[in-house]
Amino acid sequence: MNENNLTWERIRPWLLWLGVPLIAGILLAAFVPQPVIGVIRLDDAIYSYSARDMIAQIEYAAENPEVRAVVLALDSPGGTVVDTEAVYMELAKLRAKKPVVAAVNGMAASGAYYLSVGADYIYAKPSSLVGNIGVISYLPPSPFIFEEIISSGPYKLWGASRDEDMRQVDKIKDAFYEAVKLGRGDRLLASPETVVSGKIWLGSEAVRLGLADAVGAESDALDKAAQLAGVANYKTADLRELAGIASPYYFPFFIESPQGVRTPYPVEPGVYMLFIPPLPPQQ
Amino acid sequence: MKKYMIWIALAALLLPALARGIWFYRGLPPQQREIATPDYQSFAASQPPISTPLAAEKVKPAGGVVLFDMAHANQFQPSEAQSLEEQIVRRGGSVETLLDASLLGQKLKYVSAYVVVSPSAAFTDEEIRLIEQFVERGGRLLVFTDATRGTVYYDWWNETITNFSDAALVNPLLAPHGIAVNNDYLYNVVENEGNYRNVFFDQFGKNELTFGLKRVAFYGTHSVKTEDGKVLLGGSASNLSSTDDAHHPDAGGAALSADGGVLVFGDFTFLSAPYRSVADNAALISNIADFALGGKREISLLNFPYVFSKPLVQVYPAEGMKLTAETIAALGGLQDALRVINVELRVTDKAPRAGDVLVLGVFEDAEKLEDFLAPFELELSEDEKTIALKKFGEVGRAGNGLLLFERSKDGNTLVLLADSQEDLLALISTLGGGSLSGSSEESAEEPPAEETPEGEAAPETQAAPAG
Repeated sequence: MNENNLTWERIRPWLLWLGVPLIAGILLAAFVPQPVIGVIRLDDAIYSYSARDMIAQIEYAAENPEVRAVVLALDSPGGTVVDTEAVYMELAKLRAKKPVVAAVNGMAASGAYYLSVGADYIYAKPSSLVGNIGVISYLPPSPFIFEEIISSGPYKLWGASRDEDMRQVDKIKDAFYEAVKLGRGDRLLASPETVVSGKIWLGSEAVRLGLADAVGAESDALDKAAQLAGVANYKTADLRELAGIASPYYFPFFIESPQGVRTPYPVEPGVYMLFIPPLPPQQ
Repeated sequence: MKKYMIWIALAALLLPALARGIWFYRGLPPQQREIATPDYQSFAASQPPISTPLAAEKVKPAGGVVLFDMAHANQFQPSEAQSLEEQIVRRGGSVETLLDASLLGQKLKYVSAYVVVSPSAAFTDEEIRLIEQFVERGGRLLVFTDATRGTVYYDWWNETITNFSDAALVNPLLAPHGIAVNNDYLYNVVENEGNYRNVFFDQFGKNELTFGLKRVAFYGTHSVKTEDGKVLLGGSASNLSSTDDAHHPDAGGAALSADGGVLVFGDFTFLSAPYRSVADNAALISNIADFALGGKREISLLNFPYVFSKPLVQVYPAEGMKLTAETIAALGGLQDALRVINVELRVTDKAPRAGDVLVLGVFEDAEKLEDFLAPFELELSEDEKTIALKKFGEVGRAGNGLLLFERSKDGNTLVLLADSQEDLLALISTLGGGSLSGSSEESAEEPPAEETPEGEAAPETQAAPAG
C-alpha cells in the first residue's frame, strides 16, 4: 500500500459522506424557490378590459405559491363602479391568502382608492393625489313616450326614475364608505363627513387623515409586502408578464378631442367612481 | 464512526436548502385570513319622508291673478309649477304668464303676485323700478332661484365649463327689499334627503308661511339672507354652504322681506313631483299660494285701466257740458282700452250715487261737480289762472289737466278736469292710450285708510295733474 492509496482511503469516506450529500443538498436547495413579490400595475382607468387584466393577475398571484405578496402600483382616476367592485372583491380573496400593499404613484382617486383600501398597507408619494371618494352618475331624463318606439314598461327606456337613480348613487356611496371603514379600521382618522366629501388630498395629507399609512416609494411598498409575507431577498416580478397577459388592449374609455387630446370625460354615460379633473386652458 | 458520518451526510444534504430557506424566508407564511368586505345587500336606497295628504285642508277663497315670468329666459317648465298653480286655483285665483317683458308694466297693474323663477336674462332698470312700485303698492313678489339651474356655458376654445348662477340675475331685483341670494348651494353629508345636496329645514321663522311646518326638504338650494327681513327656513348645523363649507345661521332656504311683500326661495325643485309631497313640502306650497293671493293691493291711478272694480263705468259729463263728436270719439278710444279688460262705458246725465264713475268736466264746472271734488280739496284761484290741490300745491290752469281718483266701498270714481274742452279731449285720449306714463304723473302719499265709526273704510283719494 503506497502513500497515495493511503490518502485516497482517507478522503473517500469524506467524499462519500460529505461531498456527495452536499452536492445533492445544493441541487436540492435549488428547489427552494426565491420568493416573488408580484407587482400589479394600474396606469389607466378601471373599465372592463383593465379590470379583466387585473383580475387575471390577481388570480395568478393567488394560485402560484412563489408569489408571496403583491404590490398594487396605482396611478388611476378610478373608473366604472361595477369593474371597480369586481377587482375589489377579487383582491379581498387574494388578501385572505397573501399580503397586498398599495403604492400610490400619481393618483389613487375614487375607484382606484376603493382598490387601495382593499390592501393591507397604503404608501403614497408626498404629492400623490388620494381620495375623491364617491360616485358620479348621469341622471336619466324624466320619462316620456315616443310615438315610434313601443316599450313594455314606463322605465324600459330609462332604467329608473331620476329620483331612484339619485338614491342608488347614495347607496353605492354608502358601500364605498363601508369599504373604506373596513379597510382602514382604526387607522382611519378622518370623520365620515370628511371622507365622503369627495375631496382629493395630497399623499402627505392622506397619511395625516389616516387614508394612507405612510409616505413612501414603490420600493418601500415592496419591502413592506416582503415584511408582511415574512420573506427577504425577494425578487419582484410584473404579474402581467407572469400571467402571460398580452399588451394592454386599447379601449376608448375617455372622450378624445378631434385633435387627439384625451379628455377626462368618459365616452359612455353610466355610474362611475371616477375623478374628473378640470382641463388645462389652451393657449 | 458510521453513525457520526450519517449525521454529517444528512447535514450536508439539508444545509444548503436550509440556508437558502433562511436566506429567503423569515418564518412561516401568513395564515389564511378573513377579509371583511361591505355587506352590499344590507345597503338600501333611502326613502323620502312622505307628508300627510292635505285633502281635508280648508282654504280661504281669495281670488286674484298670479303672474309667472317667462320673459327672462326662465329655466323652468310650467308643469313644474303645477303644484303651486293647483293651490292658487283652489283659492279662486288664476295664473297668467308673462311672455313679453314689454308688457310687464301693464300686467303688474292688475295682478296680485308676480313670480320669477330662475331667470337667465337680466332685468332692466325700468323693470326693476316697476316691480319695486308693484311691491310698494301691496303686490307680492315671489322669487324662486335654484342652484341646479344655472346657465352652463362650455367654452369650446378653452374647453372650460362656466356656470352662471341665477343668483346674480335676481339680486338686483331683490336689493331694494333687503334680500340677497348667495351664489352657493347648501349641502349636508350627515343628514340629507337621499343626496348631500338635498337638505332638510326644520327651524322656521315665525310667519304664516311656515305655519304647520315641521320639516321641509329642498333639492339643490342656494342660501338666502336678508338684512332686515326674516329668514324663514333654517336648518341644522350640518347644513353647510358650498362657499366656505360652513354653517351660516343667518342664511337659509327662504327669506321674507321686512315689509312682508317679497318672498325668496333658494330652490324651485321642491315644487315639482315627486318632491312636492316629501316631508311638509305640500303644506309649504299651500302656504305660498296663500301668500301669493294675500296681498292688499292699493289701486291707484298707476293701475289704470285696472282702476275700476265693476264691469260698467258710468260716464258723467258735468251739467251743461256738450258731448261733441270729438269728445265721443275720444271716449270711443277710451272704451277700446277698457274693453280689453271687459269694462263697458255708459254715458249718463244724472250724477251717479254708486258704482264706478268717470266724471268729465272743465275747471269752470268745478262748482257743479262739488260732490265729486269735495274729497280732493280743490281750490280755484279767483283770477282763474291757477288751481291748488292741498297735496300738490298750486299749478297753472292753462294746458294742465287733473285726474282725480277716489276709491270707496260703493265704487271707484275717476274725475277728469281740464282748463278747456280741448285739454279735456287730450286728457281722455291719454287715458285711451291705456297708460298714464306719458303724462307728468305724480301721486300723492295717501294717509292709511281710517276706519269710520261705522266700521267702513273711509274713501281713498288720489290726484294727479297731467300736463
